[in-house]
Amino acid sequence: MTEQIPTDQTKELPPGLQLEKVDDRIMTLNVGPQHPGSGHMRIIVRIDGDYIVDADPDPGYVHRGEEKMAEVRNYLLNIPHLERPVIHDSCNILYPYVLGVEDLVGIEVPERAKYVRVIAAELNRCVYTQYWLAIYGIFLGHSTMFMWPAGDRELMIDLLEKMTGARVTHSYFIPGGVRNDIPANFEDVCLRQVNYFEKRIKEYADIFYDNPILKARTEDTGVLSSQDAIRLGTTGSVLRASGIDYDVRVKEPYDVYEELDVHTNVLKDGDSYARSKIPWLDMLESCNIIRQALEKMPKSGSVRTKLKPNPKGVGNDEVYRRVESGRGAAGMHIISNGKPEPYRVKISPGSFRNLIALPYLLKGEKLGNMPAVYWSLNYWPVEADR
Amino acid sequence: MSSTDSKSDTSKEKPAPPKPAAEKPAPPKPAAEKPAPPKPEETLPAFEKELTDRIVNQFSGDAEVGYVKENRTRINVKKEKILDVAKFIKDQTPFDHAESVSGVDFPEDNEIEVVYHLGSYTDNRYSKQVLALSTRAPREDVPNPGNDSTKLPSLRDVFYSVEFHERECFEMLGVHFEGHPDNRRLLLPEDWADLPPLRKDFKNKGR
Amino acid sequence: MSVIAPKFRLAYFLKSIIDNIFWAIILVTLIGIPAIQIGLFYGDLPVIEGELLTAFLAFTWLFNPAMALPLVKSLIYSDLFRIAAFPGFGFAALIAAGTIFVERKMLAKLQLRVGPFYCGKIEGILQLAGDGLKLISKEIIIPAKADKPIFWAAPVLFVATAAAFVSLIPVAPGGWVVADLDVGLLAVFAVIGFFPIITVLSAWSANSKYPFIGGIRALHQMVSFEIPLILSLLGVVILTGTLNLSEIVESQHNFPWIIFMPIGAIVFFTAMLAELERIPFDLPEAESEIVAGWLTEFSGMMYGLVQLGSYVKLYAFAALFVVIFLGGWTGPVFWPPLDEQIITTGLEISSYTGDPFLTVSTPGLPLFDADPNEWILQKQGELQYTTGQLLISGVVWFVLKTIAVIFFILLPRGVFPRIRIDMLLHIGWYKLIGLSFVNIFIALGLLYSGILGPEGVF
Repeated sequence: MTEQIPTDQTKELPPGLQLEKVDDRIMTLNVGPQHPGSGHMRIIVRIDGDYIVDADPDPGYVHRGEEKMAEVRNYLLNIPHLERPVIHDSCNILYPYVLGVEDLVGIEVPERAKYVRVIAAELNRCVYTQYWLAIYGIFLGHSTMFMWPAGDRELMIDLLEKMTGARVTHSYFIPGGVRNDIPANFEDVCLRQVNYFEKRIKEYADIFYDNPILKARTEDTGVLSSQDAIRLGTTGSVLRASGIDYDVRVKEPYDVYEELDVHTNVLKDGDSYARSKIPWLDMLESCNIIRQALEKMPKSGSVRTKLKPNPKGVGNDEVYRRVESGRGAAGMHIISNGKPEPYRVKISPGSFRNLIALPYLLKGEKLGNMPAVYWSLNYWPVEADR
Repeated sequence: MSSTDSKSDTSKEKPAPPKPAAEKPAPPKPAAEKPAPPKPEETLPAFEKELTDRIVNQFSGDAEVGYVKENRTRINVKKEKILDVAKFIKDQTPFDHAESVSGVDFPEDNEIEVVYHLGSYTDNRYSKQVLALSTRAPREDVPNPGNDSTKLPSLRDVFYSVEFHERECFEMLGVHFEGHPDNRRLLLPEDWADLPPLRKDFKNKGR
Repeated sequence: MSVIAPKFRLAYFLKSIIDNIFWAIILVTLIGIPAIQIGLFYGDLPVIEGELLTAFLAFTWLFNPAMALPLVKSLIYSDLFRIAAFPGFGFAALIAAGTIFVERKMLAKLQLRVGPFYCGKIEGILQLAGDGLKLISKEIIIPAKADKPIFWAAPVLFVATAAAFVSLIPVAPGGWVVADLDVGLLAVFAVIGFFPIITVLSAWSANSKYPFIGGIRALHQMVSFEIPLILSLLGVVILTGTLNLSEIVESQHNFPWIIFMPIGAIVFFTAMLAELERIPFDLPEAESEIVAGWLTEFSGMMYGLVQLGSYVKLYAFAALFVVIFLGGWTGPVFWPPLDEQIITTGLEISSYTGDPFLTVSTPGLPLFDADPNEWILQKQGELQYTTGQLLISGVVWFVLKTIAVIFFILLPRGVFPRIRIDMLLHIGWYKLIGLSFVNIFIALGLLYSGILGPEGVF
């Protein structure tokens, strides 16, 4: 990033000594990428005393060009690497791509596969949210809240490993269904572990969400009003914490979400506390969804419709599909031109859309609030960089 | 996705804009959507049709319907009018935010297309709808991002949420958005001196 | 391909060893031995059993079982031993090491994990030693534009100040304290006042932004919490009428002051957490905001020294809490009086066959008694407890209470998130100072109503 700092023309600074304008009051902090409170990104923060006067997010440290890579691999080979932007939520980030390709080639997914997908997606949402919550805990200096979710996350990872064979990078969804059927006794194991998981995460309220210090610290910090949430185009938990009832699973249900009873968690406050609470409530909701899906799922049947080999690829078409990932609506714009490879794949993940709220919210906050505001945006730097 | 070849087998129901606005052939609608009408070529969804007609009629000659599908519509606008159309959409329709800004390079047409996917949070009837608002900028074979003719008016003042998306589009395709307050690089390293990487003539290494 | 020590030659290796031996011999003979002799010439040697202890005599007595105990005893009662070992730094460092181990294991249990586990086979008991070795062997990196002398001095000063703090804490009855001052409490406050200065010096000298912010935060925090810290102790001072810590402890032989001044104890505990930068108040080291605060630029053993100093400081504060509010070493004396036979003839240590030629008996075990004949007075009923009994049981009570306080200092780390600087200062300036004045008024009320105090009922 080239910084446009007006340099003092009259003053010759020794070369290599001063990279920025010397100012009596404003101090520039490079928060990241080696900073423990930044993730894989940099936030250039200017502080005046303890107050942040300017924040400039600088993502891109883990930009891997997924969109460019997708243009040279065919539709199926794209699956393993398009889930790389957020491996903790790999089913959900792959979901719009798979749905889009199914739209493009016009393939019908078996009913059982839809349920399996929903279960995998919700499990994966829990995996991601636990990881996110762990980091939110350690960002606020709460080390127990770092260890507990990181440990309980293993339950869901274990289930996903049983389903897909991989712990994090599942590559489970393919156009036409899922890669393989779930194991025989999966329903019982899943139900048991999900119930235990729900019991566990309800305990987080005691140690974290009802903690008076946490409440005093995060309530009324980084308040995003509902008008601003819409104007900034935020999504997911950030949007719902600001009082906007919008969940893609409910508003534009894909697969079998319309047959399930999905409750949208909405809080009115729009502060860091509400933003951090929504993903936790979503995890409880995910447990409900998984139980419903396990109940309604056809007990047997195909989980995959074979794609007919078509050397011509898919036709000239474009599609924009979106799903509700762990960080909000993840959209994919896929353009095909009749070749085996997509002409263009544009990923619009929730993280990237929420990033715009960061400089907006940080301005005027105290420096001590920076981790609370930053991580409450449900922002995953790797996904935003793609 | 040029309009030149490989289009013969796809049946289209309306005159093709420079872009492939073709409906899909026989296989009906997206699998995950609600039960779709069996022959989408015949009956366009009324709600979406009415929406696009409203916009296109307002700007007849400058805007045209790209496609009308269930929940998805597309309007192609000339680049001179994109700001006006965006303002009209912001003011007169419930679309209030941009979800995604895709830049697509079309070397055959010598153009770069920018597609804004607009969505609505405020109106429940529109919450399923995604309106793709696309425009095209001239493309130069030897790009000089920011200083060549590949320029578009920025929609940042209309849809605030396109700010980072347009910055990304600028660095990835070299489309300079005029009026954007912050036309800096976002994801690429600051010493990037190659072509804008999402252009088609930027070849992946080893491929 | 990497080769370890690519230019290794055996001859060079041997040469280097021989060189080192040569220089060691040269240095020892030319500098070491004269230095020892000069030291022996000028230093005061103890008088044991009526004889001046010379070096020759010391070596002789080392192998005389009858004289080993007096030798050890004279060592124990020397100033060096007090400063370096028992009530002073060594004891504090030992408890600090135990604190680190307990903290890691307790936090791990709280967080459903095992903590240090492999190093040392038994529950990772050697983890701390491993960490220390690692820190010692690491390279020390100093920022390019740092003010080097101050930057170097800061960790050493930190440890030294913590040790000075420790030296004021009385541990056991009978003057087991390095510096028994009449103004002990004032000296404690004076020593505490050094910590923010050292912190801000090291932060400033590092010439780096995060240490600077951390140092400023530490300065704010420590300075503003010193006031409630001092005020909360004034109640005890009013009631006891003394600043001497030993006398404050002696004043609590009936009941600890926490019974009458719980508010002061709470204020002191909270201010203590802030002074120690423990978890709800660890703003100067808040890692998600300012990397590691004022410790950011420290590396290697400099960091290790600061950590050592902070844990010694933790012990000292916990001990101060015990001394002032929990009655220090007071408690029932549980150590039994020694058997007469042990003192007169000594324990017989022999092989299992009872071979008389191998039997060794070591008389005179009342090692910790100030006067070795105290047991005779005790036998005659003129003395209730010997000083050795009082020392051992006093130390045990003191350590138990200190560990309990340390446990409560460690516990918030697993329970609370970090607080924010403005909330912290608000707590310090508004709530704690007000509460400590309430405590002072309670103390004054108790004093003037004649219930407590020098002329009180109790």
